[in-house]
Amino acid sequence: MPSVMDRVVAVTSRVLQVDPGEIKPQHAFATDLGAESVQSVELVAMFEEEFGIEMDEDEALSVETVGDAAEYIAKVCRQQGVAC
Amino acid sequence: MSNTLKCYPLVDTTEPNLLEETFDYSMPPLIRFDGPVVEYVDGRPVEFDPQTLKTRDIFITDTTFRDGQQARPPYTVDQMVRIYDLLGQLGGPNGVIRQTEFFLYTHNDRETLDRCRELGHRYPECTGWIRAVPGDFRLVKEAGLAESGMLTSCSDYHIFEKLKFKSRKQCMDSYCEVVDAAFEAGVRPRCHLEDITRADLPGFVFPFVERLMRMSEQVPEEKSVKVRMCDTMGFGLSFPGVELPRSIPKLIYSLNKEVGVPSSRLEWHGHNDFHKVHINGATAWLYGCDALNSTLFGYGERTGNPPLEGAVFEYIALKGDLCGIRTEVISELADYMRSIGLPIPDNYPFVGRAFNVTRAGIHAGGLRQDERIYNIFDTTTLLNRPPRVMLTDKTGSDGVALWVNEFFGLKGDERISKIKCHKVARWVMDQYEKEGRMTAISDEELEVKVRELMPEYYLKYKGNGDAG
Repeated sequence: MPSVMDRVVAVTSRVLQVDPGEIKPQHAFATDLGAESVQSVELVAMFEEEFGIEMDEDEALSVETVGDAAEYIAKVCRQQGVAC
Repeated sequence: MSNTLKCYPLVDTTEPNLLEETFDYSMPPLIRFDGPVVEYVDGRPVEFDPQTLKTRDIFITDTTFRDGQQARPPYTVDQMVRIYDLLGQLGGPNGVIRQTEFFLYTHNDRETLDRCRELGHRYPECTGWIRAVPGDFRLVKEAGLAESGMLTSCSDYHIFEKLKFKSRKQCMDSYCEVVDAAFEAGVRPRCHLEDITRADLPGFVFPFVERLMRMSEQVPEEKSVKVRMCDTMGFGLSFPGVELPRSIPKLIYSLNKEVGVPSSRLEWHGHNDFHKVHINGATAWLYGCDALNSTLFGYGERTGNPPLEGAVFEYIALKGDLCGIRTEVISELADYMRSIGLPIPDNYPFVGRAFNVTRAGIHAGGLRQDERIYNIFDTTTLLNRPPRVMLTDKTGSDGVALWVNEFFGLKGDERISKIKCHKVARWVMDQYEKEGRMTAISDEELEVKVRELMPEYYLKYKGNGDAG
């Protein structure tokens, strides 16, 4: 089963239309990967769909990097009892 | 200059100070004074106490059917009766909108007056407007009106160039003859001093008004002459320190305190040729004139008159109380006026379609968190107009979420997050980025898209929509 990081990279690649090989954990969605405002919201929505979780809007949108997103999503999965 | 500098240390706090003594969201922001207003008259300081505005019987008069009608095709009788009815509802039982004036010359004029009076409103009182011709007071009396305006133009532009009087004395005698005719007819004359802000005040206006005051001594107070100061060309100025005849403070002080016209018999009538019409009217209130003449939505000759609805909010802000005014009727009046062909610009304060609509995404974000951030007051309660967003490429996800929540009527914890609105936000962005759209997105388009892209929410809050 792919890791949380792999799935975050896959979603990010799909939404931002960036080659998955070019996405690194330290990359910031906005400044490194070029996510615009609406794309940031789309990313959160797609993460929720991918993992079957509900995230706090303000918390989720304040996450800046790919690595932090994987970490935050894993935490939410644990809190909501969702296997990931 | 350095010895005037003060030190202002930061007052740190974790609780916001929202200045709610002034910005009570349930009211228009209050106009609060912290001292007297000073104007220099003949080189000496004169203090005006603005606190008296709270207790003085200031009021609004209306000339929508006279000056207002000079700026558009005539209203029908039915239209005028409807407008009069709404003015009565708006002004409330305390007569904040105290009077309105009617032409009296045609059958339609008189029918309108009769039908308005049949409505039984105590306010606005109906008054007339006639030429300065002695015989015309017969019309006023036959109409059963207690008061009528009459034109008494007072600048030399009018006295000599328009009316072709040989001298100022001949002009004054002619006007006074008409005032006498009013007294004889038992009608209260309201002298409209046209072009007063371009007149020789000490040379003609003050002597004329002094004579009117003396003439008034022969009649009961309720029949005594009223004086309407007509800033016909919009030349009046509100600032302290301006010289006469353009200074509104000095003009009102002179008529009130030197010539002896009581505040209750002074009225200001402005025009908007220099974008000063509303503040000039409010200034007249401040310096001792009780009546502010206005028209609905400012419609009047050329650039218009003080907007009545602006005067209403100014009144509430000065009084700190609604005083029986039903502000929501302003929106009803605007809808009605639009329905009969009166154009109101979208950005027009209080009633324009976009007066409390934001397009900027960052403003929409603010509105989503707390509508007070970008709404002037509780427009939902006071005007039946909730703050709204209009969606463009600048509005962003916050704006889309705000629109969606308003559309579904959701508040507080019920509100849908912008994450759940992302498909609609994407559609909006694609309209501009991919489709090359150049116009704002209409409510109708958005409703279709919300139904398509957020079907579960649409079903929950709007039903299946089959019933239309």
